[in-house]
Amino acid sequence: MESNVLKPILAVYVALFVLFLYGPFIVLGILSFQQGPEGGPQFPIIEWSTYWYRHLFGMVPPSRIAPLPVGEALIRSLILAFMTMVTATVLGVMAAQAFRRRFRGAGVVFYLIVLGMMVPGVLTGLGTSLLANNVLDIERHWYTTAFVAHVVYTFPFAFLVMLAILNRFDSSVEEASWSLGVSPIRTFRKVTFPLIFPGVLSAMLFAFTLSFDEFPRTLFASGRDQTLPLAIYGTFSVEIHPNIFAFGVMTTLFSFALLAVYGILMGLSVRRAKKMAMQEEIA
Amino acid sequence: MTQTGSIFRLEGVTRRYDDLTALDAIDFEAEQNEYISLLGPSGSGKTSLLRIIAGFEKPDQGRVWFQGQDITDLPAHERGIGFVFQNFALFPHLTVFENVAFGLRNNVDTVPGVEIEKRTRDAIEMVGLAGLEDRVPDQVSGGQKQRVALARTLVMQPKLVLLDEPLGALDANLRDRMQIELRAIRERLDVTFLHVTGSETEALAMGDTVAVLNAGKVIQSGTPDEIYDTPASPDVALFLNRFNIFDGTLKGGHFAGPFGDAPVATARQNAQDRYAIRYDRTQIFDPGAKLPGPALTARFRASEYLGSSIIFLFETEDHKTVEVDHHLSFGDPRDLTVDNEYVLSWDPAKAIVFGKEGSK
Repeated sequence: MESNVLKPILAVYVALFVLFLYGPFIVLGILSFQQGPEGGPQFPIIEWSTYWYRHLFGMVPPSRIAPLPVGEALIRSLILAFMTMVTATVLGVMAAQAFRRRFRGAGVVFYLIVLGMMVPGVLTGLGTSLLANNVLDIERHWYTTAFVAHVVYTFPFAFLVMLAILNRFDSSVEEASWSLGVSPIRTFRKVTFPLIFPGVLSAMLFAFTLSFDEFPRTLFASGRDQTLPLAIYGTFSVEIHPNIFAFGVMTTLFSFALLAVYGILMGLSVRRAKKMAMQEEIA
Repeated sequence: MTQTGSIFRLEGVTRRYDDLTALDAIDFEAEQNEYISLLGPSGSGKTSLLRIIAGFEKPDQGRVWFQGQDITDLPAHERGIGFVFQNFALFPHLTVFENVAFGLRNNVDTVPGVEIEKRTRDAIEMVGLAGLEDRVPDQVSGGQKQRVALARTLVMQPKLVLLDEPLGALDANLRDRMQIELRAIRERLDVTFLHVTGSETEALAMGDTVAVLNAGKVIQSGTPDEIYDTPASPDVALFLNRFNIFDGTLKGGHFAGPFGDAPVATARQNAQDRYAIRYDRTQIFDPGAKLPGPALTARFRASEYLGSSIIFLFETEDHKTVEVDHHLSFGDPRDLTVDNEYVLSWDPAKAIVFGKEGSK
């Protein structure tokens, strides 16, 4: 009886949810196949074409619309996201590991770390740039000041993910390892790390994606050479063409590819057990 | 039993958690090649004691000696003391074989690959797990997990193995079988087992020596029959779960309790006056029958059939439960009517009495 009322409501809710989640992307996706170079970033579609994708890779004759200046920015952003991912994850794992024992001042340290994701991004960016220019007197670069700003921002995410994982971690397996004469460092490598690896992957994913499309902090902290989000934003100030949509589709596909890698790595850590369970059933 | 001297010794080991004293200046010494059961109720500090010997925790005071060496400040991985966990603590990401080989592979000493292979196979064979080497812990039963945990520890050839309620997670059937196997394995190897348990039957069945721990203190230690026949205090008698214990007054060779007045030959020194009589020494009589000793009137409430014996549960006038254990080899049990009154009695010479007037 209740489900007769509840079901349609839930169906509408799910439909709305999916619409808002994927609607923007679907519209962008459709518009990226607009005819070029005359077609603009709006409906109706004059004619379906892959012009803007070819435009992106410089495979069309030169026109009045300049190619997107994203090549170097993309490389920079990827390198920055990778550096940030590695640093934030290592720091996150180490910090979360430290929090397994209650130490003096744990509460203060916890909030100091988490502050990094709470402080408004523009302020952090501006502050970083002021600190570099006026106090430390160093030049701002995407791989120095912006990198630090990114780590400060993503470290708390990695930390919180690892904290949740280690919170449920049964430390008796580590004690078992010690009692077998295995040193704490080797125990971490051989026991703890393999068991928390799914969490480490999640922390890496968080750090990478957050850094890759970080805007407000990077805006002030990155100096002369722009990262990808800044480069794209720069093109908005002139005129918007569907080539940005095409680029958006490409980067989204790239994100899906990353997610797929994450999924595969995640799956690998449980696959072996599953496969053996299946062999067990067949036998 | 080969007596070859002390294997480990505790000297005034004290452990506090905030204002709770888990271990209160424990002194204890264990002979080599023994099976020691450490019996204690939950919260008696028995797990703390084990963790301190293993090196997972540090005592607040006191020293721990192992093979003539003070190991109080030695980290766990340098002690060479095995530990078997109640929850087994197997490495879930490794196969049975790799679980057992783990210590040999990752130890500070390099063991040649051939030897690792051989010792691991031998250990797996010994605990009867041959054929399951390639399974992961999730694919073996509770009893098999227990064996893996044991093999993993024994393959390192430790001189001392600590077992923290190792049978607690197993069902009754399996527990009995593992009890026998644990003893058999220990007798085959040159190793001391220190087995912590909350079960009095387990402690008595397995130990060469039984130590009873209560409120952070070892209150008695001795052979199982010493403990069983001559509990040193009412607390020990209580943990053995084999004694009806009564309050009363001990005065001039007589104990006045709910059963009237009973003559007492010898009594043990204790702060409170207590009278203990074993379940299987308590007998059931009809009202008015001739009694061998004191008379305790009680209502029959229920019985529990245990196969070789029956436990009858009675309730006294002051609502205390009294148990009578009737072994079936002594003849068929009496036919009792629930809620009827009977008289319980016993030979007063078999009672164990504690009191301020007691000796020692």
